[in-house]
Amino acid sequence: MTPPVMLASRLAWRQLTHQPARLASAVAGVVFACLLVFMQLGFHDALFDSATSTARAIRGDIIIFSRQSETTSRTSGLPRARLMQALADPDVARVTPVYLGQVIWKNPETAVRRSIMVLGADPDSGIFALEGVSAAAERLRQRDTLLFDAQSRPEYGPIGERLARGATTVEVANRTTEVVGLFRLGASFAADGNLLTSDVNFHRLVRDRTPDMVDVGAVFLKAGADVNAVQSRLAGLLPDDIRVMPRDAFIASERAYWANSAAIGFIFLFGVAMGLVVGFVIVYQILFTDVATHLSEYATLKAMGYTDRYLLAVVFSEALMLAALGFVPGLALSWWLFGISAEATFLPMLLRPDMAASVFALIFAMCAASGAVAVRKLRDANPADMF
Amino acid sequence: MTHAIEIKGLGHWFGTGELRRQILFDVDLTIAPGEIVILTGPSGSGKTTLLTLIGALRAVEQGSLTLFGRELHGASDNDRIAVRRRIGFIFQQHNLLGFLTARQNVEMALELDPAIDATERRNLATAMLAAVGLGERLDHPPAKLSGGQKQRVAVARALVGNPALVLADEPTASLDKVTGHEVATLIERLARERGASILLVTHDPRILGIADRIVAMEDGRIVDAAEHRHS
Repeated sequence: MTPPVMLASRLAWRQLTHQPARLASAVAGVVFACLLVFMQLGFHDALFDSATSTARAIRGDIIIFSRQSETTSRTSGLPRARLMQALADPDVARVTPVYLGQVIWKNPETAVRRSIMVLGADPDSGIFALEGVSAAAERLRQRDTLLFDAQSRPEYGPIGERLARGATTVEVANRTTEVVGLFRLGASFAADGNLLTSDVNFHRLVRDRTPDMVDVGAVFLKAGADVNAVQSRLAGLLPDDIRVMPRDAFIASERAYWANSAAIGFIFLFGVAMGLVVGFVIVYQILFTDVATHLSEYATLKAMGYTDRYLLAVVFSEALMLAALGFVPGLALSWWLFGISAEATFLPMLLRPDMAASVFALIFAMCAASGAVAVRKLRDANPADMF
Repeated sequence: MTHAIEIKGLGHWFGTGELRRQILFDVDLTIAPGEIVILTGPSGSGKTTLLTLIGALRAVEQGSLTLFGRELHGASDNDRIAVRRRIGFIFQQHNLLGFLTARQNVEMALELDPAIDATERRNLATAMLAAVGLGERLDHPPAKLSGGQKQRVAVARALVGNPALVLADEPTASLDKVTGHEVATLIERLARERGASILLVTHDPRILGIADRIVAMEDGRIVDAAEHRHS
């Protein structure tokens, strides 16, 4: 004995596959919706990954940040003295000041000038969670040296190639400096490229800043200390002009800035919604036409004793089959386009399994919603009108 | 159970408020098991409404309508759906599902019965299509069948489940004279073999000969219940 649901979905499958051209156009609609949603989510996530990359590059258990600063890409300084005050807490092991700023970089090949982000901190502090930085500490202590972000946009010049052939001299903030190595951080919406140097060299490049004003204070705790307890003690101890946050909260607030105040999150989520609406309309059209052109057949089935629930199951099966049929090629195409977009934008476009899972859920819901609206037409299939 | 259908004092109305209009007036009708009854009458005489009420496609408003010993006045939607499964319906149009083959269409009538497995469904549908003379066209979609052949598939679909009652509405209206007569005698033969009652609405004088009894309706009333012995 075959369960009725199986029979209903078999009927749905036969109806879908009866006209291959129509099936193809319905699937193409779902694929298109998949692509739109994937691309928007991909750019959305890439934006947040890159926008928080600076925040995530800074180690530390607790971060001290000016209350006036909203994001690491546009900071208001905080007095270095606050960091010294933090040392008063018995659980605080050390505090490292981090300096952030924008300087003008001259492309060594084309001489075109462009703004670039520069990060500065004591090279021995191990403050940066970035590969290759610790190894370069010795060289960064020398005068006018820096590391170049290999994932910066190409407008800054082929620095990696130049290094390989020994051409290390560049002009930054009108100073002749030497690139002593590469690191990898990545371009973001706020910075097209990054430099990394020691705190001393930072102040040689950024002349309008004094070492007394730091941008981020990274607090390291003694082993076994409770981060939340220390955080609330520091928040009580230090004046109100700063914020004291566990590192996770610092990254989250950086993310929240881009998500909310910058309205960029909204733009991408709007794109996701548009993709779903387009897919909804296409699937709805197909299902509605199926029901509308087969009204007398559906009414005959009702006269024969088929229940409304059975016919609902047929239409819903069609919707969900379209979702599944469209998702697979949609996923494959998106994966391919992510690679192309990553090359074009230098953004970290990653198609993670959890994103694929949520897109599948969205597409499934979209098709189910189309089905739910289309089945309302089934009410018009009244077997009493058949005679 | 002495009657397949027993109707007493059946009345029915359409519309609401001032537009409410009575369609059926105090209809009495009984049909015995195995009896073949043709219902005739001018358009608007209420015969189609009567057919939909007997087919449990509408709720009974007034009077008593008993089908296979089961009172339909006050029956729930689910009761009416259960009753419909014991009736074979044949419509003016064949109403076959275009995306299914002839056999799959016939099998649809059996899929409602969970006691019949897939193999049995297939065998019963094949035998039924052979009985209507379409044993060679089992896997044809309706689009590749002639009008008469499609209506035969519809007949096979109506009868494959061994219904106790067949309700047919102008089953020959869309067919030519010869084909129409063939389909009518086919319905008659298969129903008699199975002991099913038939209530058939028609305007077609050429097929009146299959009936045991002809019932005429006018203005919502049964006006003449002449006996017509089948030879």
